[in-house]
Amino acid sequence: MLQGITRIGPFEWEVPVGFVAGMRVPGRFFLSDQLVETLEPGAVQQLANVATMPGIVKNSLAMPDIHWGYGFPIGGVAAFGMDEGVISPGGVGFDINCGVRILSTPLSVKDLTKKRELLEDLFAAVPTGVGAKSTLRLDAKELTGMLTNGARWAVKHGYGIEEDIRHCEEQGALANADPSAVSQKARQRGMPQSGTLGAGNHFLEIQVVQEIYDQEAARAFGISAGQICVMIHCGSRGLGHQVCTDHLKILEAATKKFGITLPDRQLACAPLSSPEGRAYFGAMASSANYAWANRQVIMHMVRGVFARMFSLAYEEMHLIYDVAHNVAKFEEHQIDGRRIKVCVHRKGATRAFGPGSPNLPAEYDQVGQPVIIPGSMGTSSYLLHGTEIAMDRTFGSTCHGAGRVMSRTKAKKQLSGHEVKEALARKGILIRTHHNGAIADEAPDVYKPSDEVVRVVHEAGISRYVARFTPLGVIKG
Amino acid sequence: MRWTITLIADAMSFEELEHTADIRVRVKAGSLEDLFSEAARALMVIMYGVADPGTMRLHVEVQGRDTISLMHAFLSEVLFVSEVKEMVVSGAKVRLSGIDLEGVLCGEVFSREKHLSGMEVKGISFSDLSIVRDNHTYTLEVTFDV
Repeated sequence: MLQGITRIGPFEWEVPVGFVAGMRVPGRFFLSDQLVETLEPGAVQQLANVATMPGIVKNSLAMPDIHWGYGFPIGGVAAFGMDEGVISPGGVGFDINCGVRILSTPLSVKDLTKKRELLEDLFAAVPTGVGAKSTLRLDAKELTGMLTNGARWAVKHGYGIEEDIRHCEEQGALANADPSAVSQKARQRGMPQSGTLGAGNHFLEIQVVQEIYDQEAARAFGISAGQICVMIHCGSRGLGHQVCTDHLKILEAATKKFGITLPDRQLACAPLSSPEGRAYFGAMASSANYAWANRQVIMHMVRGVFARMFSLAYEEMHLIYDVAHNVAKFEEHQIDGRRIKVCVHRKGATRAFGPGSPNLPAEYDQVGQPVIIPGSMGTSSYLLHGTEIAMDRTFGSTCHGAGRVMSRTKAKKQLSGHEVKEALARKGILIRTHHNGAIADEAPDVYKPSDEVVRVVHEAGISRYVARFTPLGVIKG
Repeated sequence: MRWTITLIADAMSFEELEHTADIRVRVKAGSLEDLFSEAARALMVIMYGVADPGTMRLHVEVQGRDTISLMHAFLSEVLFVSEVKEMVVSGAKVRLSGIDLEGVLCGEVFSREKHLSGMEVKGISFSDLSIVRDNHTYTLEVTFDV
């Protein structure tokens, strides 16, 4: 372990104040002994940098999928007080509300006799990859509706059912979105991309429920062993990317204006109450809503393919839940014995609210929020539930995925997309993509073992196992 | 004030550096103007696999607060243009005036047959964005969020 960092629990480590000049609170991160080997000094530095930001409350945190990003580390979580606190695009990222949802079907593996055909139909139905165009025809008014109402906009326009909205974090729309803070440039990028999967690490995956760990929670979430599900991972596309770029520039100037000293320009920020901070929140919330609508529209396309191929009724396919991975939100948390409203930034981290938390649908109230952790391509994904421990220790947060360990440069040199595809096919996992290069870049070997990352959050108690899913077919952007 | 004509060479003027999550590149050029042009090309090669010269031309104008933020603004503009105008930029003819940049982007039309071997870049990171001059060589290091 890096010098100066101390172990404070079986899976918890502390970065003391002073590790980086100007730290206001200690940093804390979660890792097992096995994962310590994967820890990059740059990621710890970024965790410590976050601790220098004005108004940070309690700790700068990182989940066990911590890795070197820009601004915040990936896996980073930080909460800022309403009076002194700031908001920063560096704590959200370019892909605002990059997130994941999982849809259950009444099918089992034996029903998938034409898996290749199913995968091809899904690939044809969902616009995928660089330059893919939306099948939606949005005008400016409809785009504004999408930015304001998120998944609700999509359901209102026939891309889903009322139950879907209840099964989204924040009911699929952040309040106080301000579409007027979204630039024309962002709108221009967003208009043709709504309802597209994108590229990079975004994917659509056919999965089977391999193992149930918690029967009661699985019943509440409506899943059972052997069931076929579909996982969708994507975000706010070019619209969110442009919002981040636009407001980074504004907040860079604001950082100077408000006399805030930062160790990294990507942490550019402004007080929550400032015009610049409010404008970023309004634009960021609009982008988050666009992402929820985007995933809702894609899920509608998926339901359409399954309905046609298996003669299923739309209502037989249930959205289990939808979670955001990159977002800043106002939430109330118990801090030092008091319930306080804070702005929680999660960058590559998942909300994991425990039982009885506000904002959960009644059917999940006793169990806690469903937490979806996608594995890397070809490896297991997990469904967990949120806990009281997460509420107490991590502002109700947990990991978001496996976390990379190999650079994309090295992946391209060491791995052949064709060979990875063949190896996965031998395991019964079919891959469909426009270009094999995308396969090497996202191969299982470039990520930390998702099993170990999830074991850490389970053992640390910040979320608990419910079920494990294995992939059968993957569409990569 | 002068116009710099960028020669579009086949040889790579940039290299990819190690970065776990994203793409970090080092770009070198003999002048600051050429550095902007080569940085644009590096971004496009990462995004589309190739960035060949073509007949498309687009006017570009950006401002920064300093050279670093000017480069950030310029590359962000190239990213925007490539997506909205469906243009794969192979270089730029730019002139610099303090913290202002004005010029012309050169390139070809995006084609799904030709340009799908790269990776989607979401944004240009300010983290560790550096421009260093050493005698007659300018070196940029920049991270692209992918």
